[in-house]
Amino acid sequence: MHAKQTTVLNATGLHARPASDFVTMAKSFESKVYVKRLGDDDAKPGNAKSILGVLAQGISINTPIEISAEGPDEVEAVDKLIELVDSKFGED
Amino acid sequence: MRMLKGNPISRGIALGKLYIYQAFTPDVHEAYCEAGQEHEQFHKFNQALQTAGEELDKIVVSLTADSPDKAKIFTAHKEILYDEEVADQVEEMILNSRAMPDYAVDMVFTQFAELLSQVDDPLIAARATDLLDVRNRVLRILQGEEEHNLSSLTEEVIIVAHDLLPSDTATLDREKVLGIITEVGGETSHTAIIARSYKIPAVLGVPEATKILKNDQFVVLDALEGKVLMAPDDATVEEYELKYAEFEKNEVEANKYLDKPSITASGEKFSIGLNIGSDEPNESIKFGDFIGLFRTEFLYMESDHMPTEEEQFKAYKRVLANAQGKPVTLRTLDIGGDKSLKYMVLPQEDNPFLGNRALRLCLSQPDLFKTQLRAALRASAFGELEIMFPMVGTIDDIRNAKAVVEEVKTELRSEEIPFNENIKVGIMIEIPSIALMADAAASEVDFASVGTNDLTQYTHAVDRMNADLVDYFQSMSPAMFRLLGNVFSEFNKAGKPISVCGELAGDPAGAVVLIGLGLRKLSMNGANIAHVKQTVSKFTLDEMEAIADKAKAKATQEEVVDFLEEQIAKHE
Repeated sequence: MHAKQTTVLNATGLHARPASDFVTMAKSFESKVYVKRLGDDDAKPGNAKSILGVLAQGISINTPIEISAEGPDEVEAVDKLIELVDSKFGED
Repeated sequence: MRMLKGNPISRGIALGKLYIYQAFTPDVHEAYCEAGQEHEQFHKFNQALQTAGEELDKIVVSLTADSPDKAKIFTAHKEILYDEEVADQVEEMILNSRAMPDYAVDMVFTQFAELLSQVDDPLIAARATDLLDVRNRVLRILQGEEEHNLSSLTEEVIIVAHDLLPSDTATLDREKVLGIITEVGGETSHTAIIARSYKIPAVLGVPEATKILKNDQFVVLDALEGKVLMAPDDATVEEYELKYAEFEKNEVEANKYLDKPSITASGEKFSIGLNIGSDEPNESIKFGDFIGLFRTEFLYMESDHMPTEEEQFKAYKRVLANAQGKPVTLRTLDIGGDKSLKYMVLPQEDNPFLGNRALRLCLSQPDLFKTQLRAALRASAFGELEIMFPMVGTIDDIRNAKAVVEEVKTELRSEEIPFNENIKVGIMIEIPSIALMADAAASEVDFASVGTNDLTQYTHAVDRMNADLVDYFQSMSPAMFRLLGNVFSEFNKAGKPISVCGELAGDPAGAVVLIGLGLRKLSMNGANIAHVKQTVSKFTLDEMEAIADKAKAKATQEEVVDFLEEQIAKHE
């Protein structure tokens, strides 16, 4: 199990194209990957390979999140996804 | 030869095959399969997913070239269809709980839709509708029903439906629609307005049409007389082919007036405006003097999210560019009643037409209202834009709405965003209470425009959507003309521009009376411009004033209509 935190800073949040990009990348890993909105203790982690799982987290701009993974490529999965989020998905 | 009757609301004739359009409504019950059958059921689910994916692929391909925005909606649907979490949960329900596939699909999709609709971000909450749309697609396939969709018609057809909703007409492929037949809907229903603006012959209010008529059946649609002729014999088909040619010829005759000036037989000039409902270029603008009604609902109804200020600003700028320097009257959001939005749940009301709609809704949702006003004001720097509020009932309404405009102006000033400081602000007159206060209203606004459809509905207390009540919907009643006469004379007295943008202005006989009552600005659908110019050009102003006086003095609408027909026949 590997996990890291970051804050979503692109205007759209994890919605529309950024959410699709995020899910597409998550699917490229063998590990199980999760994303969770922080600051809300009750929030259950969503399946990062599911567009609905990601959307249901309701992650908009300035939301702190935690990405976690479990499996053979868990470290790479978390690092790459954090990198994607931090790149603001190419938005300004 | 059997015949069905209805109300001809968009003139024309069509001969062709029928396409019965029925929106699928799922009927799912909690059900489980016998032990040992779960793998077979799971296979059925996977097959349905595959078929749904193929359907969506086809739609995306057919839309990509011409309507990339609409194509995107269906691409998003595919993403939902192949969602891992959904698939896992459905699999779990079928294989472990032995749920029947339709029950499992319904449960899982509905749960996710509820989850999404609770998310704070409205953009995400809006996706719940897409989820239900995909759910219905899979359920329909599981239940072995064919797809019905107006966006992917493969041949020219006459559409038969119970009713067409704004979401149906948004994706309507108008090139392939020869005619429209519906079971419900009056003269001014949504379907009627769309049919007329697309010049599609339509007969509405044909009871049980979707049950009596069959797919692929050949019919003659007579939208001049309001008839559907089933299994027509050769002689009838021939007769109607001639009538069709004759109708087209008359259209050509009227069309000669299109680019002539709008002028009475005695030489008085009047202005012709155009009603529009989108930001697409409209070829009729060159035949008119102004855009008297720019409906903004399309922005809200064709989008899967609340349109942003930037999206609205761009659309309004496009409309101003298309208007080629002519003034454009933008009507702020007019929903409630017969219209609703995917991403915003409006409370169910017993009487939506008397409820929280249009300006009332905007005043109760300041964010929604201010976003639109900001976009409109910003656009006002790029052309002659006017702002008009629908559903005004009192002077308070006018003052409250103007106060929000002032607030937004102050915001823009402090942000140093350019807009037209002298932008004209006006109202729709469509509620009798404000029509009776026309003198006071005229001193509060820069202009007004009468929406005769709603004004008729509220004056005669008659639901304009109810096909059984068409006889009660009397937009040419003496009562209407008396009320309109008062409005025109008060605004003329105050020197404030007054126009009519309702259906009555686009009716040649109606236009004659309106001009006789003192109106000089008539705004209408492009399809009506030629006929109105043609008819009015044959009457002198004195004649029209005399006709208006007599119309006001008649006892019934029937007497008015007969009298007007007589007068128009005299001048032909």
